[in-house]
Formats: sequence, C-alpha cells, structure tokens
Amino acid sequence: MIPRQGWRCAGLVGVCPSHLAVQTLYRQATPTSRIGAVMPKEALLLRTLVELADNLVDDFDVVDLLDHLSERCVEALDVASAGVMLAAPGGDLQVVASSSEAMRTLELFQLQSDEGPCLDCYRSGDPIINLELSAADRRWPRFTARAIAQGFRSVHSLPMHLRGRTIGAMNLFRTARGALDDTDVLAAQALADVATIAILQHQVAADAHILNDQLSEALNSRIVIEQAKGKISEAAGLDMDHAFRRLRGHARNHSLALAELSRRVADGTLAPGSLDPLPPDRRA
Amino acid sequence: MPADGLGRILALLSDGREPGGTRRLCEVAAEVSAASGAGIMVLADGRPQGTLCTTNSVSDLIEDLQYTLGEGPCVDAHRFGKAVVEPDLAAPDLPRWQAFAPRAVEAGARAVFGFPVRLGAARLGAVNLYRDRPGPLSHDQHAAALVVADVAAYTILLLQAGAAPGEVAAELEREANFKLVVHQAAGMVSVQLDVSVGDALVRLRAHAFRTDRPVADVARDVVSRALRLDGAADE
Repeated sequence: MIPRQGWRCAGLVGVCPSHLAVQTLYRQATPTSRIGAVMPKEALLLRTLVELADNLVDDFDVVDLLDHLSERCVEALDVASAGVMLAAPGGDLQVVASSSEAMRTLELFQLQSDEGPCLDCYRSGDPIINLELSAADRRWPRFTARAIAQGFRSVHSLPMHLRGRTIGAMNLFRTARGALDDTDVLAAQALADVATIAILQHQVAADAHILNDQLSEALNSRIVIEQAKGKISEAAGLDMDHAFRRLRGHARNHSLALAELSRRVADGTLAPGSLDPLPPDRRA
Repeated sequence: MPADGLGRILALLSDGREPGGTRRLCEVAAEVSAASGAGIMVLADGRPQGTLCTTNSVSDLIEDLQYTLGEGPCVDAHRFGKAVVEPDLAAPDLPRWQAFAPRAVEAGARAVFGFPVRLGAARLGAVNLYRDRPGPLSHDQHAAALVVADVAAYTILLLQAGAAPGEVAAELEREANFKLVVHQAAGMVSVQLDVSVGDALVRLRAHAFRTDRPVADVARDVVSRALRLDGAADE
C-alpha cells in the first residue's frame, strides 16, 4: 500500500532486491526534504517509483495508487495538471484520478470519453507527446476549446499498457511555453508503466475476471468519492477541490484508503462534519 | 476491447420487439452473457424489494428463492458489492447457500452469477444470470454483464424518478452515463434533504424531468449553489 504519510517502506527490507536498491537511492536523495528544502526532482521521481513499486509486494487500492500518481506527476514533472483514465469493462474510458479536483478540470478529462488525446492514445496504444493545443482544434474541437480556455498550451497522453493489454491512459497538461523535455517524457512513461504493472500484477495467475472486477470497482469508487465530496461540500461550505483535500487529508491522517473513507461518508456511516479540518495553509 | 460495450448494449435494448418494457433488459443480459436466463432484483439494505424483470420461470424461481431465503448470488453481490460467480452450483468448490443451492439445481440452474447494481454508494440491487449447464462465463461475457449491471442501475433510477417504462430506453440513449458532477450534486442534495445518496440521485433526476433539462445541467446549478432542492421552489 502507498505510504499515506511520510515514508514507511523500511519494513520491506529484504523482500525484493531491486526494490531495496531503489529504496537505498531514495534514502540518499532524501535529506534535503528532511530539512525542509524543496525535494529535488530526481528524488521526487525515485520516491514515486518506490511508492508505486510498493504495490507489487503489498495489498493496495487502485484509486489511491492513481491519485498519488497524478499528484506526483505534477510535483516531479514540468506539467501543470495530470489525470488518469481507465477503461470500464465495456471499453468506455472514464476518469479515475486527477491532480486537480476542480470541476472544470474533471470535466476536461471526462470529455475524453468522447474525444481527446487520452481516448486516441488508449485506442492506438501509442503515446501523444508535446501536442500543441492550438494545432489540435480540428482533431478534437470540443476538447481543444475547453483546454485552451483553461489556459493549457500543450497536452501529452501516455498509454497504460502491458503485454498487449491497454487498461487506460495518463494525461499531462502544460501551461508553459516550449516542449516537455525528453527526461520528463521518459519519467512520465516510467511512472505510467509501473502503475500499470501494479494494477495488472494483481490478476496474474488468477481468475481472468479479476481485472474487469477491479476496474469496475475503481470506477465505482470514483463515483463514491464524488458523492462524498458533495456531502462534505454541502456540510462544510467548501468547494469541491477543498472538499476533496479534506477527504484526502483525513484519509492520510488515519491511514485509510480514500475509497473506503469516501464510502463511509457517502453511505452515512461517518458524518461529513467529523472529518479532520483542513490545515490552515491549504485553505484557499 | 470487449464486443459488448455500452453503445452496443443500448442498441440491443432499443431493437427489442417489446420496446416498452423493462423485460428487454433481462433478455439482453441473458443474450450478451450466453445465459439460459436472467433476472434483475431490486434490493435495499440487503433485503429484496422486488423484481425489475426476469426472462423465464427458472429466473423467476431463482429470484423468489432468494427473496424467501435471504441468500443466494444476488443477495451476496448486493451485500459485498462485487461480482459473485458459481460456475458449478451442484458441486461447488466452496459450499454455500445451503438452502438456496439444492432448490435452484432442482429447478435446472447449474451455474449462477450475481452482479451488483450500484451507483457509487447507492446500492440498488443485483443482476442474476443462470445457465442450465455448469461452466464459467468467458472474459467478454463477464465484462458485458458488468455493463448490463450499470445500465440496470440507471434504469432503476429512471423508473424511481418517474420515467414511464416505455421512455427508459430513449432516456438511457440520451444520458446513459452520469457525469461526475451529478454525483457531487447528489452528495450535496443528500445533506440538504437528509436522505441517502441514492434517494438524492432520484430527486435530482426527477427535478430534471420536471424542468425538462439535462440532469447534468441541474447538477451544475446545485454544485454552483444556484439551486437547492430543499426549497419551496422545488415542489
């Protein structure tokens, strides 16, 4: 499971040699963050890879994994926004995680169940890199207009596939001028690949239905999260982005899976007002 | 990519000879999963509330048994929120449903499958499939059954929101998949009205019917706090 607060991978020492090697590199790269300086990009990438690799040896929640992935992409890569879409059992692409929970960002991802780079990338299995939005208005008129209106200049989509099986695609948006550099592109694909392996390895040697059940469960969890966000938003007078931060903050504080906490809020087991308040610096 | 995506299942739904009824949904469920029969149960709090449709007398009996005995694939799928498969009901690897299994086998069901019907935290029921011979569902049949379960969820919601059975297929074509904003709005409405998110989804859908607007537009108004469903203006 992804460490929800700080680093908690030490218990895995000796479990997996390659995992351990990455972990050692990560530890060497960590000290700057411990004294409060900005963590260097390489260290952020390593930490993210280790977090994702953690899922190979532990039980995990798909929604948490992809939530971390999109959040880390924005921290570690030169992109403004990141999101992950997975294919539902019937083949339709649906949004599962996004680095921003603002409604307009979610809707930009969601639009891609009909048109957009994620859908094309998922269908072809090929990455789309450094596509200038100003040149894409014929290919995806509705998507392009919305993305430009939100201030994005370029878009990148990376397939999530393994051994001929594509389960979804990751979207990265840039607001800055110029191209995403090659190192960032490689790093992004590496992150997408490790996330894919983490999801797919769960069904290796098991019932072939498990992947479909797991994807269906992840997509339903995303709906539960939206319902929980709505309850928190209404009960606490927060916008959706801040309602999500409160939900995620509480999940991490109490080592709960985001989907499980959301379920308790949405089905009324847990009152939305009883969640930990947002830290002051995270209020808008 | 599985052959039976949402678009294909909706197309199958509307080319039935009996487009006015919900029975077609059960026929499609059986068709896409190569089942001998299908049924869709509506459940609340783990208790069967009634049936949406069944395709034949065996499916009828499978639902009745679960209704009476409180156990079986639909009850488990609903309770645990995941697909429940029993490819060999007469000789299962893990014996379960001790009252249900022998009676269902006697009626001719040799394999049974249950799929939860839900929208997020709103748990609405379960799709039941049976076969008259043992054997598992293929990968594509299982995937198609999951899609049917989603369609069943929207169908139940539409009916509860006051849609006439004859309008359901057309409504599904229009808005088969709710936008995430609809679920955000349902969360808000559930707090405003102090009802479950399932009931809140029904209220939102009913409001959209009444005002003749797409449900996503109504939801956006709720999320942007331009509309509340607890005000006198709603009624």
